[in-house]
Amino acid sequence: MASNITYPDKHAVWFIEGNNLCILTNLDSSGSASTTASGRKTWKAIQESVTDGILINYNSEPNKVTSVSDYPDVDNNMHNGIVDYVKRCLYMDKAGKTGDPNQSQIALGLSQMHEKRWSDSSKRFGMKKRDKTGGTRVIKPFNML
Amino acid sequence: MAVNKLSVKQIANRVKEVFPGTPDAYIIQLVNDALVELGSYNTKVSHAKISTVADQMWYDLSDGSADSSSMKLELNKINKVYMMDNEGDYIQIPRLTDTNLLLTDVTSESALEAPD
Repeated sequence: MASNITYPDKHAVWFIEGNNLCILTNLDSSGSASTTASGRKTWKAIQESVTDGILINYNSEPNKVTSVSDYPDVDNNMHNGIVDYVKRCLYMDKAGKTGDPNQSQIALGLSQMHEKRWSDSSKRFGMKKRDKTGGTRVIKPFNML
Repeated sequence: MAVNKLSVKQIANRVKEVFPGTPDAYIIQLVNDALVELGSYNTKVSHAKISTVADQMWYDLSDGSADSSSMKLELNKINKVYMMDNEGDYIQIPRLTDTNLLLTDVTSESALEAPD
């Protein structure tokens, strides 16, 4: 079943609030501009029920692994980073468990080394989306007039 | 040509070079922790369809939320939202960044959370 909205790009908006997706429209259930709502009440919830009415494109959580034969559900260039993550945790465990202060310091140092490698693979060389820093730059000169 | 990738077994083998006695179950837990952390980056992009409900403004995106086929969304971040038009096509709709710009009428809203 199609919706009654001819131009959703002009008459619907979305935003996120906490754990919710909010969809607003300024049209009534027939797809016409609302005649009953006054100006400041124009935008309100979608007025019609439409099966599969919204399509979202999103970053999702990778599937978890349950056995040793599974493959991590992320790109293979991140797999080595996972080894560093596991070693980082185990060295941290070792630093906390060992009674020898020297061993503890060595384990802590190795933990930090793996932490850096994990951080580099996931953040620096990974696929982190940087909305504010990515993309091409355009220099806008100061208006001298 | 096959792509080189590491199974959990291969990851465990590399770890056991240094920590031989580590149980597989613990390594699996740590791998899952790493995957949760990696989920906050653009590692996996998905699409899902959600049905609209008349007079419902908020659509749940929490960990337990599901699409219109009752499949778990497992959503971390929404990139784009499309809405079905009168011909059944999905048209991208704009995101409102400053929600204070719009005066909205929430009197019809049925999903408002009451204090518990």
